[in-house]
Amino acid sequence: MRSKIITLSILVVLALGVIPLFVSDTFVLRILTEAIMWIGLAITFDVLAGYTGYLNFGHGAFFGIGAYTTAIMMVRANWPFTTALLAGAVITAVCALLAGFPTLRLRGAYFAIATWALSLAIQQLALILTITGGPDGMRLPPFLDPVYFFYLMLGVVSATFFLLWYLLERAPFGLKLKAIREDELGAQSLGLNPTRLKIQAFVLSAVPTGILGGIYAYWITFIDPASTLSDLVSDQALVMVVFGGMGTLIGPIIGAVLIFSFKTIFWAYLSNFQLLYLIILGAVIALSVVFLPNGLWGTIKNRKNRRDGPKKVEKSMSRDAEADKNIEKKSTLAAELKACTQKDGVK
Amino acid sequence: MMATPLLELKSVTKTFGGLTANNQVSFKVHPGEIVGLIGPNGAGKTTLFNVISGYYAPSHGQILFNGKDISGKPPYELAALGIGRTFQVVKPFPGLSVLENVLIASFLRYPKRAQAEEHAWHILETTGLADRAEVSAAGLTLAGRKRLEIGKALALKPSFLLLDEVVAGLNPTEVDLTIELILKLRDQGVTILIVEHIMRVIMQICDRLAVLNYGEKIAEGTPAEISSNPAVIKAYLGETAA
Ligand SMILES: Nc1ncnc2c1ncn2[C@@H]1O[C@H](COP(=O)(O)OP(=O)(O)OP(=O)(O)O)[C@@H](O)[C@H]1O
Ligand SMILES: [Mg+2]
Repeated sequence: MRSKIITLSILVVLALGVIPLFVSDTFVLRILTEAIMWIGLAITFDVLAGYTGYLNFGHGAFFGIGAYTTAIMMVRANWPFTTALLAGAVITAVCALLAGFPTLRLRGAYFAIATWALSLAIQQLALILTITGGPDGMRLPPFLDPVYFFYLMLGVVSATFFLLWYLLERAPFGLKLKAIREDELGAQSLGLNPTRLKIQAFVLSAVPTGILGGIYAYWITFIDPASTLSDLVSDQALVMVVFGGMGTLIGPIIGAVLIFSFKTIFWAYLSNFQLLYLIILGAVIALSVVFLPNGLWGTIKNRKNRRDGPKKVEKSMSRDAEADKNIEKKSTLAAELKACTQKDGVK
Repeated sequence: MMATPLLELKSVTKTFGGLTANNQVSFKVHPGEIVGLIGPNGAGKTTLFNVISGYYAPSHGQILFNGKDISGKPPYELAALGIGRTFQVVKPFPGLSVLENVLIASFLRYPKRAQAEEHAWHILETTGLADRAEVSAAGLTLAGRKRLEIGKALALKPSFLLLDEVVAGLNPTEVDLTIELILKLRDQGVTILIVEHIMRVIMQICDRLAVLNYGEKIAEGTPAEISSNPAVIKAYLGETAA
């Protein structure tokens, strides 16, 4: 199954790679480039949400930080794109480190709220600073080569995918993160340092996201706080990941492709798109949480496992661990001690 | 002169607000021993385990492991030093398979996946879980989950093992299997501190016992000494009388 997925992924990347040889329609390339970008945003979101168990509503902020850093270095410092992009990656990593230490102590909803608040703060910062152009945003030197951006996006997203696949599905790192997700306290007694692992996951999730932001900025040539730093980036990534299947990497890709296609078609045929789209996103997330708790891919995988047989789950006799604790205890205790005292030659 | 104790508690106190869960507890565990820690419900046994394994820093006092002060070190550092523990309220990673549960602990000594897997399989065989390797940990029976708890601690290759009620709640056959496993570990050189309410087990396997009552150590000695100690009998019978 796993090696099949890698083979399939390589084939998909190759197939995507030859598309520009046959398709010269700018519109089509643009749609594909954006779809690939969303795949990147979804799989990086999954690192924290699915594998580590933390819903990061600051994901969009990392995208924005990468975009703004790249833009600022290119426009204000006249750096070439590649170096500016690299600076974006570094700044994103630093921000992830700084934001990770306080927020990753929080659990569940508190983490979600804290990261959401931080991302709002970043958006406000971009609105009031002059270096970011405030509400007017920034215009980047135009470089209008759709094929270049298609390949750049494809290259970065596939590199990210293969890196994440290796780290999360092959190397010990992914299982360690899952241990944190399942039981952070229990994991510590097995030699895992949760703070360190979570920070690593945070940076691993943030850096590719920042790079994607930088590419996006140069590609679209215009960024402003409303588009680049809005909650919508995190929200959409979340819907893609939950709908596709958290903690699988493959699920988020499927989710990204489906949600993005849907959005694109919707955009083309309906005029008052914004509001309706948000309502539908909300409905998709609510429905998938209720009816597809494992997401599309999770459900398919479970079906397949059941069909293939052996990996059956035993019915547990009693799942209530707290209750186990008291079985057999008090009542027999004193009696046993007495029995033992009366017996001679206890060992 | 005796060899350095593997574990030495020097008047360890742990308070929760106004409640003193462990009060000036001192005792030693020597290499190769199986020491039992007993006492009525709420005596502070699990709390003491949590202090020794780094989940709580002691409020006062010192913990020496191999002669080195480890008080206040986090659990993951102590795991690396060779302290393994089980939890009274078992802590399987429910969303992962039994094999993956043990594998995660195996990474401490075997950072490479292939070696870690080999080690994890070995542990599964030792603990009798090999045939359930692919089952989700949440799907194990109570006995299975208790074995998994031991398996995960063992995968760390500990020199010192803290077992918190790994027998309670098992049927007699399972109890015997667990006893057998514990004795086998001791023969392999693992030093063990065990909390257990089932006296049959304690009397059968322990070299020495320490008794806690209301957070204080009220007695220490061989099982024979302890079972005829008036203070101990009073602590237990007082509980039933109440
Ligand atoms: N985290 C905590 N916060 C406050 N009080 C606690 C905490 N943990 C334990 N206690 C209290 O400390 C005392 C000792 O509890 P502990 O669990 O150590 O007892 P025990 O000897 O393991 O009992 P049992 O045999 O029932 O497992 C109890 O009064 C308990 O309520
Ligand atoms: Mg206890």
